Amino acid sequence: MADDPIEQFHIEPIAEFNLAGWDASFTNASLAMVGGVAVAALFFNWAMKPAAMVPGRAQVVAESAHDFIRGMLKDGAGEEGVQKFFPLVFTLFLFIFLSNMLSMFPGFFGVHHVFAPTSQIVITAMLALLVFFTVIIVGLAKNGLKFFKVFAPSGVPIYILWFVILIEIISFFSRPLSHAVRLWANILAGHILLKVFAGFVPALASLGLIGILGASLPLAMTVALYGLEFLVAFLQAYVFAILTCIYLNDALHPGH
Amino acid sequence: MADRKPPEDALSNLRRRVDAARGTDGSQNAPPPQSPASLALRYGGEFGAAVIVGALLGYGADYLLHSQPWGIVIGMGLGFAAGVVNVVRVAQSYSRSNPVDPNAPSIPDDEED
Repeated sequence: MADDPIEQFHIEPIAEFNLAGWDASFTNASLAMVGGVAVAALFFNWAMKPAAMVPGRAQVVAESAHDFIRGMLKDGAGEEGVQKFFPLVFTLFLFIFLSNMLSMFPGFFGVHHVFAPTSQIVITAMLALLVFFTVIIVGLAKNGLKFFKVFAPSGVPIYILWFVILIEIISFFSRPLSHAVRLWANILAGHILLKVFAGFVPALASLGLIGILGASLPLAMTVALYGLEFLVAFLQAYVFAILTCIYLNDALHPGH
Repeated sequence: MADRKPPEDALSNLRRRVDAARGTDGSQNAPPPQSPASLALRYGGEFGAAVIVGALLGYGADYLLHSQPWGIVIGMGLGFAAGVVNVVRVAQSYSRSNPVDPNAPSIPDDEED
């Protein structure tokens, strides 16, 4: 059914592939992710090719994207964070942003729609866990046992410290969950909402003249929601990146 | 073109003028305004995530120590506390980045005192 709002999230294998008994097929989700990465790589290669002192339009876009994430990381984790983690945060931001943006295409060249990889919790959870384990590994490697000060805020009386530590541990482990769920839920809900409202249009329009007049209302709503979804596509990539910066700061400077 | 400066010098001069025109030290990075819905989702997500993680850790403790149901009960309680801590942290960072307008009219105090 074309008007099933969930149908867009079905994963269909493009090339079946088995890896030691595991299903590792190349699917439409994989294709969308490769597309996001390819757009980022090709655009930045093309835009930065002149590397001119006075940049052209494409180079301005590429350089302001770079400066945007650099400033975010500097505010979040300091100059040291920029030196250590800039490639990670920039890659995460571009990947999420471009996957979200590409998934706004309703479909072309016989493709039914462009898959939204970030609407799959597996993918957002892997991205969030990547950040989570980066924080733990870098924090332990850099600070040693001092890293565990993230669990013990300074200035807490000793008789309540055990309780605070328990709460801080739970709070620390809840980070990847909320980090992943926020991106996933926003993209999933946005895409379902678009499909639901768009589905009203043909359903109403098939009812005759009054139906066609009535169908203009959900059509206007779909157009408005599309604009909102473009904002969400950017905003969620931004939020994911800025939370990554905040979490990475803990790896460099444990202790609140 | 009387004074031909070396390019590096001219470039840093340009950088200084651009920064002065922007009125910042070059790190102008205003976050986009957050919609109330995304803020609500953020608060809810932080709270819910802590409760779920607390319950899961408690369940894990039960599984290892065979202490059903106390692990999940205590873990969930701690998860609620951690959720409140998370929400307070988010709210604090939100208030820091969006300070209250000092000229805003104060809410009238309707308490009899």
